Amino acid sequence: MESNVLKPILAVYVALFVLFLYGPFIVLGILSFQQGPEGGPQFPIIEWSTYWYRHLFGMVPPSRIAPLPVGEALIRSLILAFMTMVTATVLGVMAAQAFRRRFRGAGVVFYLIVLGMMVPGVLTGLGTSLLANNVLDIERHWYTTAFVAHVVYTFPFAFLVMLAILNRFDSSVEEASWSLGVSPIRTFRKVTFPLIFPGVLSAMLFAFTLSFDEFPRTLFASGRDQTLPLAIYGTFSVEIHPNIFAFGVMTTLFSFALLAVYGILMGLSVRRAKKMAMQEEIA
Amino acid sequence: MTQTGSIFRLEGVTRRYDDLTALDAIDFEAEQNEYISLLGPSGSGKTSLLRIIAGFEKPDQGRVWFQGQDITDLPAHERGIGFVFQNFALFPHLTVFENVAFGLRNNVDTVPGVEIEKRTRDAIEMVGLAGLEDRVPDQVSGGQKQRVALARTLVMQPKLVLLDEPLGALDANLRDRMQIELRAIRERLDVTFLHVTGSETEALAMGDTVAVLNAGKVIQSGTPDEIYDTPASPDVALFLNRFNIFDGTLKGGHFAGPFGDAPVATARQNAQDRYAIRYDRTQIFDPGAKLPGPALTARFRASEYLGSSIIFLFETEDHKTVEVDHHLSFGDPRDLTVDNEYVLSWDPAKAIVFGKEGSK
Amino acid sequence: MTIQTPAKEKTHTFRLLAPGVVWMILFLVAPIMMIVYVSFWTQTTFSINSTLTLDSWKNFFGSEAYVGALWTTVRLWLIVLALTFLIGYPAALYVGLLVKSKTVSTVLLVLCVIPFWTSFLIRVLAWRPMLGKEGAINILLQKAGIIDSPIEVLLFSELSVIIGMTQIYVVFMVGPIAFMLGRIDRNIIEAARDLGAGFGRIFWKIILPLSLPGVVVGAIFVSVMVLGEFATSGALSGRKVNLLGNIIVTQVGSLKWAMASVVGVILTILLGIVVAGFLRIVDLKREL
Repeated sequence: MESNVLKPILAVYVALFVLFLYGPFIVLGILSFQQGPEGGPQFPIIEWSTYWYRHLFGMVPPSRIAPLPVGEALIRSLILAFMTMVTATVLGVMAAQAFRRRFRGAGVVFYLIVLGMMVPGVLTGLGTSLLANNVLDIERHWYTTAFVAHVVYTFPFAFLVMLAILNRFDSSVEEASWSLGVSPIRTFRKVTFPLIFPGVLSAMLFAFTLSFDEFPRTLFASGRDQTLPLAIYGTFSVEIHPNIFAFGVMTTLFSFALLAVYGILMGLSVRRAKKMAMQEEIA
Repeated sequence: MTQTGSIFRLEGVTRRYDDLTALDAIDFEAEQNEYISLLGPSGSGKTSLLRIIAGFEKPDQGRVWFQGQDITDLPAHERGIGFVFQNFALFPHLTVFENVAFGLRNNVDTVPGVEIEKRTRDAIEMVGLAGLEDRVPDQVSGGQKQRVALARTLVMQPKLVLLDEPLGALDANLRDRMQIELRAIRERLDVTFLHVTGSETEALAMGDTVAVLNAGKVIQSGTPDEIYDTPASPDVALFLNRFNIFDGTLKGGHFAGPFGDAPVATARQNAQDRYAIRYDRTQIFDPGAKLPGPALTARFRASEYLGSSIIFLFETEDHKTVEVDHHLSFGDPRDLTVDNEYVLSWDPAKAIVFGKEGSK
Repeated sequence: MTIQTPAKEKTHTFRLLAPGVVWMILFLVAPIMMIVYVSFWTQTTFSINSTLTLDSWKNFFGSEAYVGALWTTVRLWLIVLALTFLIGYPAALYVGLLVKSKTVSTVLLVLCVIPFWTSFLIRVLAWRPMLGKEGAINILLQKAGIIDSPIEVLLFSELSVIIGMTQIYVVFMVGPIAFMLGRIDRNIIEAARDLGAGFGRIFWKIILPLSLPGVVVGAIFVSVMVLGEFATSGALSGRKVNLLGNIIVTQVGSLKWAMASVVGVILTILLGIVVAGFLRIVDLKREL
């Protein structure tokens, strides 16, 4: 293969590709340290400062630029993501559990569930608000209509994650439990669930992240009270200031912190497994 | 034993998977306090049968009786039948102690904590795992896993324990030791073991009763001696892997085969005419020697030393392999030259003959 | 392990499935049916009633702006799809096939996924200081002496929407392709090389066909997301680029539910055709 030539070229290409993915973030990060409150969301940097970070937490004297309306929106988004996570994961685990047996209509049910992640948010959002507004005549709220739309979106992800986990699950441990006189329900609680728990965690992580960041469905299906993505969207139409950049940096750092914790936990569990293997060798 | 000694009974149990009939109207009855070996080649339906008795699967037709009760529709956890899996199926997230205590802790009837503690310790002691209570399954060896699986089942004091190729995942040394231990444990506890295996050696060595399963049917059951001495069909003889089996024609008390003509005293009814002689009853002679019976000319090809005996492999003129098992307690084996011709013979009275002319 | 399904097992399966299925029928199928239904309702200035009419449909096809939005959507979709493929495939080739070390490949994939933990809207917004008249790219180009005056079409144009969408969605193309490439048995490639095939030939005859299912999955992901887009075009085009999604948003904003529904139905049909078309290329059930 001419991979001796191709490989370095592609390596450089991939570096550029990653730069393409991260470039905007870098610029955003730099501009978040723009001087305030006069400095605008563009180059050049008048003077380096943490003004916009302090602005975010209300630690600067009031100016003509209103603080981002993120406080309440953040709490709403967290609650909504939590509700969605629990519901979607429960539905996903149940449906995936049912798929361990062959049954008639499995194909139809599978596509019905997966449809939820394939239909664009703008359509589910529109349809849900039509149903609420023009047929049921109920008011739309983030915790009612937006919530059901979020579950429609995240349930398929939880379902697919659990399906993958359960496919690799050795069901003989469940049978062993039954043969010891333990009822199927108790078996699920004491054997199946603890063993599929890592999968349940990833399903929850998926559902939470997707719901927390969900925008198009929420735009249509939630009512007056804004969630975090809606609050950010609200700043689009008016003039933007570097405070939104500072906010972007903060959320990104928060995500990195979460990822780091996840990475450390994984590393610890790997080390524990290694330690066990060593003990076994000694024994 | 009498009818009242029966522990479980299968009545016309049939199981189909799509087009495949795994179990074909099986009738089988097992006595209490026995070690039953269920011998069958892979695909004979032996695991299906075990899973049906355990309640993991339901038969398409037929009934399952256990201790005088029809349990066909009873779910697995209400049957009180133990099951030991080939892959052990230990709970990986629990310690050895908690694995064994699992059934007691999670039973429908609450068992007092002190009793759980005691019974679990006793069971762990019995299988020789004392000291390993706090390890998790990943930290114990294959043989120890097997013992945990056994203790976990026996602590529930079942009347019947089903073992699905329990020694299949162990190495040869361990397998021999576990064979002895399994029998000893069973005798001590007065339970019935139904042990499924594909190994004829294991089945004959362990079972008080051996049942042979083929193509979804029990084709013979009896004591190991009965099975060994008088296989009911050429199929059984074939599985036992201890018989040279020849095709030929059975007519008027004579069997004409590759070894010439042999007198036949009794024959068993069978669709094809077959002649079977055990490896250890086949003898080796030089050409021209005086023979006890029929003469089969064959070339010596190889020998295999098995510890207490030697297997000699011969090839007949029509390229069939014939085996001779020489037990070393009967004296030293002969010196044979590879690729030389010898004559194999046997006492025709010891042969087992099957044929259309045979009696039931 | 599948067990037989007598009555009891059936009710068990039914109980496990019922909540999810009911949820999807009530909150996914019914809303979509609703869109179709409402698209035939009668719209008056301030309200809407369920008298069936084709007026909204006639309005849609009678309006240059609306039909134009349909073509803009299709054009942008095709451009973004082509770009995500062309930009994503070489990256996937490196990550999925050429990198020997499993760790490096995983690190690169994680690197691609990390941006997804940042709000989608902030990712879109991040392009503004990048592309603007006084943005990073113009400053860099001017400093390098390549251009004298800033390029103005970079932001608030169709180009900025295309750049933004390509950056956001290219990872959905890279992932599936890298996955399929990772499954290729290296021995096949070795064997072909031993037989004297050059890299070009190996690529066209072996690598590309074997990675095709990944391309199709990636294309479906990208298509579904781009066709339903409105936020990127809203934020980066300065309202100059109107996609079907933008029309739905503005129509709902002015309570023109019937027209929003017409656009919704058209979008649904468009999506259906695109996804069905992709699924004809590759039988996914067989490949995965």
